[in-house]
Amino acid sequence: MIALTADTTFMSWLDSIGPLHGWAIATAVVVSACCAIVGTPLVVRRMSLLGDAISHAVLPGLVVAVLLGAQPGGIGVLVGATAAAMVTVWFTRFLYRQAGLWEDASVGVSFTTLFAAGVLLVTISGSRVDLDPGCVLYGILELVPFDTVDLYGWDIPRAFLSASFVLLLVSCGMWCTWRWQLFTAFDCDAAKAAGVPTVAVTVGLLVGVSLATVAGFVAVGAILVVAMLVVPAAAAERLVHRLHHAVWLAVMIAVVGAIGGYLLAWRFGTSAAGMMAVVLGVEYVIAILVAPDDGVVARLVSKLVYLWRVQCEDRLASFWRAEESGYARHESTVGGLVDRWLRVNGQVQKQENALVLTPQGRVNAEVIVRSHRLWETWLGRHVDLPVDHLHPPAEWIEHHLGEQVRKRIENELGNEDVDPHGSVIPREKR
Amino acid sequence: MTGNNSAPEVHADNPMLEWHDLTVAYGRRPVLWNVDFEIQDPCLFGIIGPNGAGKSTLLKASLDLVQRAGGTVRFWGQRLAEVRSKIAYVPQRETVDWDFPVSVMDVVRMGATSRLGWFRRGGKRERELALASLDHVGLADFAKRQIGKLSGGQQQRVFLARALAREAEIYLLDEPMAGVDAGSQEQIFSILAELRDQGKLVVAVHHDIRTAAQWFDAIALVDMRLVAAGPTAEVLTPENLTMTYSGRLGILDEIGEAVERRGRTS
Repeated sequence: MIALTADTTFMSWLDSIGPLHGWAIATAVVVSACCAIVGTPLVVRRMSLLGDAISHAVLPGLVVAVLLGAQPGGIGVLVGATAAAMVTVWFTRFLYRQAGLWEDASVGVSFTTLFAAGVLLVTISGSRVDLDPGCVLYGILELVPFDTVDLYGWDIPRAFLSASFVLLLVSCGMWCTWRWQLFTAFDCDAAKAAGVPTVAVTVGLLVGVSLATVAGFVAVGAILVVAMLVVPAAAAERLVHRLHHAVWLAVMIAVVGAIGGYLLAWRFGTSAAGMMAVVLGVEYVIAILVAPDDGVVARLVSKLVYLWRVQCEDRLASFWRAEESGYARHESTVGGLVDRWLRVNGQVQKQENALVLTPQGRVNAEVIVRSHRLWETWLGRHVDLPVDHLHPPAEWIEHHLGEQVRKRIENELGNEDVDPHGSVIPREKR
Repeated sequence: MTGNNSAPEVHADNPMLEWHDLTVAYGRRPVLWNVDFEIQDPCLFGIIGPNGAGKSTLLKASLDLVQRAGGTVRFWGQRLAEVRSKIAYVPQRETVDWDFPVSVMDVVRMGATSRLGWFRRGGKRERELALASLDHVGLADFAKRQIGKLSGGQQQRVFLARALAREAEIYLLDEPMAGVDAGSQEQIFSILAELRDQGKLVVAVHHDIRTAAQWFDAIALVDMRLVAAGPTAEVLTPENLTMTYSGRLGILDEIGEAVERRGRTS
């Protein structure tokens, strides 16, 4: 492998990657796309654990298929693995329904049993089967380009061909049954009542998952394939609000993870599978940070904006109360951040070294004080609270009363114009 | 008017909905016993009863969503499979995940899904129908909103719009008024009344006996069995209400348990 030195430019670095790595990357991309397509419905249906189970439990099916003479990476292996996946699903349902085991525990029991059986089969049959336990567990992406088949004079890696076949299959399947998938995933009972074959739709999805898993074995092995099923979908779900958008985004996230993971792994001379899963994890963290509505950053910003608004409104109201109690000017240290902001916005102005409300500021301040006293009055009437307990809740709710609600409270209170403390409720200027 | 043989009218041909000796069991244990009733004509029909009375189970069994232990359900004298496209079902709002990534429009368009085959995505007519249904429930402006961003009443109206988009003849609704503000309740009810006036049958599970009296034309009182059914005024008698709400029928519970254990009652 060519060492990457500091003065090597990016382009020549890409040149140095060469066709062998190109095939490995292409295979990783196709496999990731397969997993993302079927993984997204799986994740939104809260069936991720079953995906994990399937990805492990296909192992014995794979080994048996190879023992029966199927080519590794061929159709026979796909069939065997899918059969094993269906056995897992059935076994899980059986444990859950008949043996009275909790659903998560029954998933845990069934897939570990089958996976362990698969590991035993691999090691026992050792010499007779061309399956290396290490490859099965951790993937053999780096070796993909060396196992090729001749296709019209082109040497195409076998793993790439079978992964492409699976991609074609799952994307066609998903496209054809899309409306049914969506309806079943969202509201299974209504879908069933409307005549959607929900059982077939679900089984179809699980078959897709097992096909994608088998394709994924090559790239990242049995242990990490669940990362490709679940992580891109989970990240996409945070970022977009329609299922087909989520599928497309998950595919993009997965592809970035595959390419980025492979290149980084090569750069640092480490496991491609591990690095791909790590990159996906990083992408997920980014997704929860930047998610538009409930992302960490968005929530933090909206919290800060709220706190700032409360500060400004409280300050404005204090100016107003000062005026009300007869101080023409508010004696205060001029120059706090809040004061400066209020001045820039034309809410208060400087007058002989003190701050006073502008006409606009007075109107805004009045709304706050009005909200406060309306709420105190309303609480006093409807809730059994001592008068001296009315202030704190009003101090909080005053920042949340819109014009509509104020009007409703006003109508309900009739011509009450004094709050429970005896202060006059300022009239709304409309 | 009590008991199982309380059909309001003499047996005529092909009632819109007919439960014939319907028994439903979860596992082996029967939870709804021998419901036998038919709804002849279009009306607003309420299924009323205490918690755990089997009201939702009655709807689900009618739609083959839970296994029947015995008895039959007929729509216009036919089996569900033959008339499925004429029946719309609105499940309880809590049964779905409202964080699910779909828009309001996506949900309403599900109403037409079963009419579409494998490859068809639905065309202009379907979109127009969905929009019209949304408009009908007063949510046309919310078409692109993610469903989780709606209030409870709005979510329930989206469900109703999805049912309307099915252009069905019989509407089966499970607790359409649960967790819904008073304004939305009025709106939902007036849409249901409108459907009835157009000659459709509306069957709704409902928990509030006071509003039931003013809303429904006919009522079935259910508590693990059909206590009484018929026109609202005739059914809502103090005796019937006592029989429905005065607590469990110990015998049905005990026998249910015995059936489950495959033993005998003591």
